[in-house]
Amino acid sequence: MKGPLAKTAILLVGMYVFLKFILPLFTAPLPASLIFLYLALTFASAMIFYTMSGGSLDEFMGPVGRFLTGSGQVGIAGTARILVFVLFPLLVGWQTYTRLAPSDMPPAENRTIHPAPPGEFVGLANPYPRTPENIMMGKGLYAAFCSPCHGANFDGKGPAAVGFNPPPANFSDPGTIAQLQESYLFWRIKKGGVGLPVEAMPWKSAMPRWEVELPDEWIWKIIMGEYDGAGQSPRTWEEEE
Amino acid sequence: MGYMKIFNVALGLTLMVTGVGASCVFASDPPPEGETGSVAVRLFLTEGAVPADDPNAAVWNTIEPAEFKLAPQVHWPDRIQEVTVKSVKVRGVHNGEDMAILLEYADPSEDAADAAAVEFMVGDKMAHFAHGQEMLQVEGGDVNIWYWKKEHGKATDMTAKGFKTIRPQENQNVSATGAWQDGTWRVVFSRPLQTGDDLDVQVTPGEWRNVAFAFWDGEIVDGDVKEKGSQKAVSSWWYLRAEPPPDNSIYGYVVLGIVLAAGFEFFLVRKIRRGNES
Repeated sequence: MKGPLAKTAILLVGMYVFLKFILPLFTAPLPASLIFLYLALTFASAMIFYTMSGGSLDEFMGPVGRFLTGSGQVGIAGTARILVFVLFPLLVGWQTYTRLAPSDMPPAENRTIHPAPPGEFVGLANPYPRTPENIMMGKGLYAAFCSPCHGANFDGKGPAAVGFNPPPANFSDPGTIAQLQESYLFWRIKKGGVGLPVEAMPWKSAMPRWEVELPDEWIWKIIMGEYDGAGQSPRTWEEEE
Repeated sequence: MGYMKIFNVALGLTLMVTGVGASCVFASDPPPEGETGSVAVRLFLTEGAVPADDPNAAVWNTIEPAEFKLAPQVHWPDRIQEVTVKSVKVRGVHNGEDMAILLEYADPSEDAADAAAVEFMVGDKMAHFAHGQEMLQVEGGDVNIWYWKKEHGKATDMTAKGFKTIRPQENQNVSATGAWQDGTWRVVFSRPLQTGDDLDVQVTPGEWRNVAFAFWDGEIVDGDVKEKGSQKAVSSWWYLRAEPPPDNSIYGYVVLGIVLAAGFEFFLVRKIRRGNES
């Protein structure tokens, strides 16, 4: 197995193992579509490389031609050839079926979890100082208005949380309020689920539009209590620089 | 071998390899996250009449239910922090003309003010699950609500678009019957799939619709009804689809695909052989 064809096969398998199993040890796993794209590029590169000259081309295609025509093939190779010829049409048939078969799955939903806020809510600073009294008041308000869904432990597991889709945000998760500025939370609390743009699917959110019931001062203090209780800090412009 | 022939072989091989590769690679994708409960109600296609007024019809027991968790209504005042009905099992059938939906849920006591409702988005505009409440950046649509209350003994076909806009429709075309036994309510709603009324959800087999549910425990506690008005158990939006009639033309396409693939193999091998002979 020293021919260019075998080398290409080994290269493809190696690439797949690297992308699928080794790379995720260092970074996030790649989506299957991206792995497929990389493998297709690798294969195309090999094809271009081996079709550069007539000699390497014959070397590359020779085994393929011999395999397909069945010239001088006996035993395992002969059986494999028949297997390939039987399986390929069946594979095409199966692919056709899966493409056309009616799906029982509802349409896929790509909901944006943290969409861009309206301009008037960008960069607002919390007008209330971070005093122990203000934080304490914020936690009290949080307990009264927010904890039924977002949980007494700020983990999104309040008694009323079960059953909502999407589920209430888990503030102790580093992917939620720790990634956001206080002004962003101010927008989300004030305008609620119905204030979201279309890409965030506002029709699904149970988050109340709190501006109808709570004064701005309470909302700012709730934000303070939320960060403190969840053990997170708001994202600031300074940290991004 | 000539270049053209080589190219043809290469093209054929590329197609084969990418086909097999794609099948293997994509098959290894994990299923979508968070799908522990049901996401959709399937209205099974049956022949003959649907069990429109019979919550205990034998056909219901042959259908696999979808199950949805329920939450207290917290979206607007008056809120409620805890509710009696925690989840609902939903079954559905249709016969191409009429549909019937069975809601089954636990409620320890049978009370005159016990009630259940099914909500649908109407038309193409998305509507907020809380009575089609106004959204600030998205123009929303109407919702159609089918409401049943034990003491009314019938369904009311209603429309809403926002706070306090819920009202009975002029054309009432939904019926409902409830039966309580051993701590379980079984309530069946039925209606023609299509009504011709713009305020109604129109159910077309094969197409997805958005559906949500609500329940009230009408038990009298300290002289007052426990859950009423906005104090209720609610679900989020989920999906509903009436099963389309089976489409056998798909098997014709499968056979065509197999024949084409076999033909491709035949001509490919013949071409290579001729190339080798020349």
